[in-house]
Amino acid sequence: MEYILKNGIVYDPANEVNGEKMDVCFKDGKIVESVSGDAKVLDVTDKIVMPAGVDPHAHVAGPKLVVGRLYRPEDERRGVAQKTKVTRPEAGFSIPSCPTTGYRYSRMGYGTVCEAAMPPLEAKHTHEEINTIPNIDINPLPLFGNNWFVMEYARENRIDDLAAFIAAFLRISKGYGVKIVNPCGSEAWGWGMNVHGYDDKAPYFDVTSREVVRALAKANEKLGLPHSIHIHPNDLGHPGNVPTTIATLDSIKDIAKSTNKAASVRDQTVHCTHLQFHSYTGNSWKDAASGAEEVADFVNKNKYITCDVGQVTFDETTTMTADAPMEYDLFKISGLKWANKDIECETAAGIIPCIYSPKAPVSTLQWAIGLELFLHIDNPWQVCLTTDHPNAGPFIRYPKIISWLMSADKRMSMIDNGEVHKWASKRTGLGSIDREYDFYDIATISRAAPAKIHGFQDRGALTPGYNADIAVYDINPNDFDASKNPEAVEAAFSNAYYTIKDGQVVVKEGDIVATKQSHTIWTNVIGYEEEEKQIIDSIMPFFTQYYSVKWENYQVHDHYVPNPVRVDVEAK
Amino acid sequence: MKTITFDQKKTSSIALEFDELITDNIYAWTEADFAEYKVPVGNSRFPITDYFDITVEGEAESPAEVKMILNGDCGRVKYIGCKMSAGEVVVNGNADLHVGAEMSGGVVTVFGDVEAHAGREMSGGKLEIMGNTKEYCGASYIGEWRGMTGGEIIVHGNAGKQCGECLTGGKIRVKGDCDILAGIHMTKGTIEIDGNVNRWPGGQMKNGNIIIHGKVGRLLEGFVEQGIVENPVADGIEYPGKYIEYKGDIALKGKGTLLIDAEKNRDRLSTWIEYDDEYNAVRTYQKQ
Repeated sequence: MEYILKNGIVYDPANEVNGEKMDVCFKDGKIVESVSGDAKVLDVTDKIVMPAGVDPHAHVAGPKLVVGRLYRPEDERRGVAQKTKVTRPEAGFSIPSCPTTGYRYSRMGYGTVCEAAMPPLEAKHTHEEINTIPNIDINPLPLFGNNWFVMEYARENRIDDLAAFIAAFLRISKGYGVKIVNPCGSEAWGWGMNVHGYDDKAPYFDVTSREVVRALAKANEKLGLPHSIHIHPNDLGHPGNVPTTIATLDSIKDIAKSTNKAASVRDQTVHCTHLQFHSYTGNSWKDAASGAEEVADFVNKNKYITCDVGQVTFDETTTMTADAPMEYDLFKISGLKWANKDIECETAAGIIPCIYSPKAPVSTLQWAIGLELFLHIDNPWQVCLTTDHPNAGPFIRYPKIISWLMSADKRMSMIDNGEVHKWASKRTGLGSIDREYDFYDIATISRAAPAKIHGFQDRGALTPGYNADIAVYDINPNDFDASKNPEAVEAAFSNAYYTIKDGQVVVKEGDIVATKQSHTIWTNVIGYEEEEKQIIDSIMPFFTQYYSVKWENYQVHDHYVPNPVRVDVEAK
Repeated sequence: MKTITFDQKKTSSIALEFDELITDNIYAWTEADFAEYKVPVGNSRFPITDYFDITVEGEAESPAEVKMILNGDCGRVKYIGCKMSAGEVVVNGNADLHVGAEMSGGVVTVFGDVEAHAGREMSGGKLEIMGNTKEYCGASYIGEWRGMTGGEIIVHGNAGKQCGECLTGGKIRVKGDCDILAGIHMTKGTIEIDGNVNRWPGGQMKNGNIIIHGKVGRLLEGFVEQGIVENPVADGIEYPGKYIEYKGDIALKGKGTLLIDAEKNRDRLSTWIEYDDEYNAVRTYQKQ
C-alpha cells in the first residue's frame, strides 16, 4: 500500500530538513522517495511532520513494573478508560498496564521505546510484557553493572572474556545493549550497604565502580555494539554527587570508539542517563543547589558523552530502579511504602511512590536542574527528552516538558508567580536563561538524537528505506508562536494528528484507530561464538551451584520474541 | 427545583451501576432522556426503564437543584451518589457498594442498610445512613494513603471493619457499634462512636481524634495512657463526661488522641491487660 503525506511542514534533523514544506511518501511500511499516482493521499497541509518519537530511556516492562502495579493499586485507578472497538481498557497513571503504555506512546506520536533495565534472570518475563505492549518497538537493555561474573572479569581486567560474556548474555536475554546501574552499589545492597563515590569497592569482590564501568566500556567498544554503555552512575539523588558524575564520565575519555559498522551511527562512548538526578551540589538537602551548569559544561566539552535528562514533572509517581539502596534512602525520607526486589547474583531493585510537588523545595530544585541541563547543553544531539519514566514523572508529560523548553515566558511565570517553590530561583540559574527550543530542536531531542545514540539504522529519520514511523502534529509552525502558546504546544504533542507505525495509521486525531504487534529489537553478535561457548562453559559450575534456576530455563527462547528485529553485529 | 423519582419495578441479581446517574450528569435530563438511557449491568447495558419507573418533576439549572429519590430495595444498585458534587439523593431502602464514594458535595440519605465502601474518599457533603453499613466506611481505596478528606458521615446503626481508614479530614459518627481497626492510619479528622468497639481502634494513627462512648476491646500497645480528663474538647466540640485519654500510635510516632468512656472502661485503669480474655489466652498459649 502506498501513501503520501501531502504538504506537511517537515522537521527531520537527521537529514537536516528544518521546517520545509514537502511531501513524505511511504510504501509497504518503508519510507520511499516517491510513489505512484495511485497512492492514498493524507492531507497534512501546514501541519508538523516528524519521524515518530524515540524514547531512549524508560521503564515500561519487567519485574519492577509488576511489583509496582501490585503494591500500588491506587495508581491503577488513575487514567481509567473504557475499551473501544480497537483498544483494550486502559488503567494506570505512572505505571499503566502494558496495552495502555502502547496506546499512550502512540497518541504522543512515538514509535520506539528503550526499556532501560532488564535483569537477565527476569528477561523472559520482560519479553512477555513487551509482547503485550502494542504500537511501539522496544529495545531492552540487560543489566550488567552488578553482575557477579562481570565484577570478576573487571577485577581481573579480562576484557576479552567480558566481551564474550556480554555477547553471550545479549543473545541469551535477547537484549540490545549494556546497561549499568549504580555499579557495585546494588551488589553492596545485598549486605545492607551502598558505594559512595566512584572508587568505592563492592564488598567481597575487591573491585571498584570505576573498574567495572571502564571494563564494560572497553568490552562494549571491542564488540562494536550499536549502543554505547548506558550508565546510571553512583550516588544518584544525593546532594553533592556532581564530582562522582563527572569522574564517571571522565573515566571513559581515553576509551576509543569502535570502528565497527554497527557502532558507526553513534558518536558517543558513554550515554549517561537521567543526568538531572546526578547534578546536585551541597552536602545535604539543607544546602543542596544546582550543579547543572558544571555538568552541562563538561558535556559540552566532551563529544564522547550523550545524556538524557530525567525531567521532573510535578506528579505523584512511582520510582523504580535497580539502584535499590537509593530507593531505601528515598523511603527513609518520604516515609511512604517501599518494596525491594533482589535478583540473585545480578542486581536488586527498589520501588516507592514519590510525590513531586511544585510547593516542595527539593522537587522544585530537581525540576529546575532538569530544565537547566536541557538549556545549558549546547548541542541538542547530546541530550534527549526523558522523564526516566516513571521515576521523575510519567512519559505522558513529554508534551508539557516540550512546552517548558519552547517558552521562557512560561518558565519565568512559574517562578515569578510562585507556582513553584522559591528554591527554583534561589538555588538554580533557571531564571536567568532565556534560551528557547524550536521545533527542529524538539525533533532532535525526541527523535533524531535518541535514534542516533542507540545506533538505530532504520528509524528516527525520514530517510528512504527507513521504517515508515511518522508523527504529524496539528500545528502550523509558520503561523504559530510556541513561546506564547505553551498550552497549545502541549495539547498538540499530547494528541498526534497522525501516528504512523510501519506504514500503518495507528492514531488519527488523537484516537487509536489500529493496533500493531510491537517488535523487540535485540543485538546478535557474530564472530564470538567460540569465545561465548568457552565462557559459558567456564561459568557453568558457578551458575549450577548458586543460581536457583537451571541454565535451560534461564535462556530466553525464540518463541518469547515472536517479532524480533535482530541487529547483527560483525564483531570480528 | 427538580425531583427525579425512581420507583423500582424489578430487582437484578447482578448489580446495576449508578455512577453515571448522579446529579452532576442528569440535572437537565427529561423523562425521554431516561427512556433512552441504558444502565451498566455487569458487562452489559440494559434500559434503565426495565428496572425503574422514572418521573421527572420541575426544572433545574444546576446539580444543586436536583433531588433524586430511589424507592425500593436498591441492595443491588452500586455507586449511588458516587462522585456527586451537589444536590440531594434519598434512598428509601437498602443500597449496595460505594454509596457516596468520592462525593464532594450534596447530601445522600439512605433509609436502610448500606453495603461496604460507603463514603470512601469523600471530600465534602453529607452521607447519612439510617441502618448499618459494612467495611471501609469513609476509608481510602486500597493502596491510597488518604481516605475521607472532608464532609460528614453519620451511621445510625453499626459500622464494619476499618471504618475511617486513612481518615484525612471530616467527621464520621457511628451511633452503633464499630468493628476492628476504626481509624487505622488516620492522620486528621474525627471519628465518634456511640457504641462499643471491637479491637484496635486507631491502629497506626498519626493524628486526629477518636471518641468512643461505649466499651472498647483490646487496645494496641502503641497507645499511652494520659489519665482521666473531664469534658474534653476535640476539634472544637466538647464531650461531656469523664474519659480516659490516650495518645498514639507511638509505633509511628503518632500524636493522635483516643478518648474512651471512663465509666464503661473502668477495668482498663487498674490493669489494662487483664480484661482481654482473648489476649490473655494467646499469651498463656505462647508461654506454654
